[in-house]
Amino acid sequence: MTIEAVSAAERRRRRVPYLLMAPGLLWLFLFYVVPMSQLVITSLQEGSLERGYRFTGDLSNYLAVFTTYRGQLFNSLLFAFAATVIGLAISYPLAYAIAFHTGRWKSLFLMLLLMPFLVPFLLRTLAWRIILADQGTVVGIIKTLGLLPEDGRLLSTAWAVVAGLVYNYLAFITLPIYVSLDKIDRSLLEAANDLYASPFTAFRKVTWPLSLPGVISGTLLTFIPAAGDYVNVELLGNPPNSMMGNVIQNKFLVVIDYPAAAAISFTLMALIVTLVVIYVRRVGTEELLT
Amino acid sequence: MSQAPGSTAGGETPAVELKGITKAFGDVLAVDDLNLVIDENRFFAVIGPSGCGKTTTLRMIGGFEDPTSGVIRLHGEDVTGTKAYQRPVNTVFQSYALFPHLTVFENVAFGLRRQKVADGDTARRVNEMLDLVQLGHAAKRKPRQLSGGQQQRVALARALVNHPRVLLLDEPLGALDLKLRKEMQIELKRIQQEVGITFIHVTHDQEEAMTMADSIAVMNKGKIERMGEPAEIYDDPRTPFVASFLGASNLMDGKVTSSSGAVRLADGTEMRVAAGGLQEGADIRLGVRPEKIQLGATAEDLRTTNRVAGRVTDASFIGISTHYLVDAGQLGELAVVVQNIGAARFPAGSDVVMGWEPGHCFVVQPV
Repeated sequence: MTIEAVSAAERRRRRVPYLLMAPGLLWLFLFYVVPMSQLVITSLQEGSLERGYRFTGDLSNYLAVFTTYRGQLFNSLLFAFAATVIGLAISYPLAYAIAFHTGRWKSLFLMLLLMPFLVPFLLRTLAWRIILADQGTVVGIIKTLGLLPEDGRLLSTAWAVVAGLVYNYLAFITLPIYVSLDKIDRSLLEAANDLYASPFTAFRKVTWPLSLPGVISGTLLTFIPAAGDYVNVELLGNPPNSMMGNVIQNKFLVVIDYPAAAAISFTLMALIVTLVVIYVRRVGTEELLT
Repeated sequence: MSQAPGSTAGGETPAVELKGITKAFGDVLAVDDLNLVIDENRFFAVIGPSGCGKTTTLRMIGGFEDPTSGVIRLHGEDVTGTKAYQRPVNTVFQSYALFPHLTVFENVAFGLRRQKVADGDTARRVNEMLDLVQLGHAAKRKPRQLSGGQQQRVALARALVNHPRVLLLDEPLGALDLKLRKEMQIELKRIQQEVGITFIHVTHDQEEAMTMADSIAVMNKGKIERMGEPAEIYDDPRTPFVASFLGASNLMDGKVTSSSGAVRLADGTEMRVAAGGLQEGADIRLGVRPEKIQLGATAEDLRTTNRVAGRVTDASFIGISTHYLVDAGQLGELAVVVQNIGAARFPAGSDVVMGWEPGHCFVVQPV
């Protein structure tokens, strides 16, 4: 084979990854880059549907997030954070139990975990209205236990919103954690025991660090959509519980103020990306993930 | 079970003592009433086919499995029922089980940190141990950046740095290629002599066991069939299983005609045997190792009167020796290994005479 032939084959081989990525890149360009650019342009415009929009480069829409909608922003971050923490507290033991203790029933438990997702999102959330209803059993029991005053309620409170968020994103946090726990070589835990680590220390020094990639993807898969969620507030909360998602939905679909809606969306997104970057850096998984 | 070179008759406390150890998994007896005594400073090998219970035995000494019944003593102290992390033994795992998220240094330091050894001492001991296994330069690397042989040495260092009373090795060389395995066998033996710790080495590779161990226990179906020094059990395996598992053997049916050492083989040939403890009239099997058989064209070529005739069915030249298969009629096909030291070669089809010294054969009881 000549040198030219070798390099031609080499060139072909180098093209392969790009060809494989092409459909994905095209998709991202059409449905992510284009709308995002439009979003940025829209956010810098002024006007209304009747009078038409005009580019002014006005930044006041961006500041509105931190002034007018400070409360909603705070709600978004707080509820998403609470849902992530509570979700982690529920899903980690669950994932751990499925990965380590279910033996041959593993797939059954995984299926049970996914079962609720066969029911549409809206229906599931509506079901929570019934579960948390003022005359419902749950509220009754909690009142009997004295954890809620006689005139207290759960529906239309921040608790209900967080509960809905936790529930709706539970599988998204459990599955990545399960995957990273399941692939831990069991002999690593024996090795830790062999090296004088009690089961608890073995968990702290081996299982937990090795499950971090799953914890990180799981918490991100919960926090990011939860921070932008509006359906749970709509169905389970009340106006004071409004999140940024509700503001955006309102601006886009009710008030029809596209520039404001675009600016708020963009700000929220930038904020979440910043938080995610800080989080991933802090937990320092780069080494673990490679 | 008889006392063997692995055990002491008294005096010094043995490193490991197993008394009546039985382990059942459901209906299956993995280890069946096992008794074993291993002395201080020994390189002890447990060999056997897969499923013979050797790994289960090792795991019970390590504390990873609880025996169904029986007592385990380490240096005289009863440790039955204690957990792995409470036992002064360390294990080198078959898969190495190195912590992927920790550096080589932290892997080796893991046990010392759990025992709350001071940082200065930890660093000194870890570095010393890494030097011993010739990996001082790799301390900052992650396990996945090392070759298989290097990972194996990290696993060894990680166990040895704790100065365990007993080191358990579960097929530690199984994943290495042949050349590296040979090197590590010598390396392991050197390290064992240097640190002076009892090594219990589980393997299915009889050659590996014979190369390294001072004593070998051959396990089969949850029991120890034979225990002793490598040469001793090679020369006198006593059971057909040990004879065929440890090296190659030719086994021929026969009957003892005189307790002073005469056996009549199935085809009527009388053989002199140097083995003791023969009972006249007993059915036995006579065993000869392939390399102990002399081969000649006529009876005059042999230096012994123990002779049988046969015809070569296969001859393969492999450099240092030639391997023959010889059909000896009623005695079956015998394997013969002849060193290539200028002796005549016999192509397939040649009629030959085989013979062996009375001291070169052994007697096993039929199963």
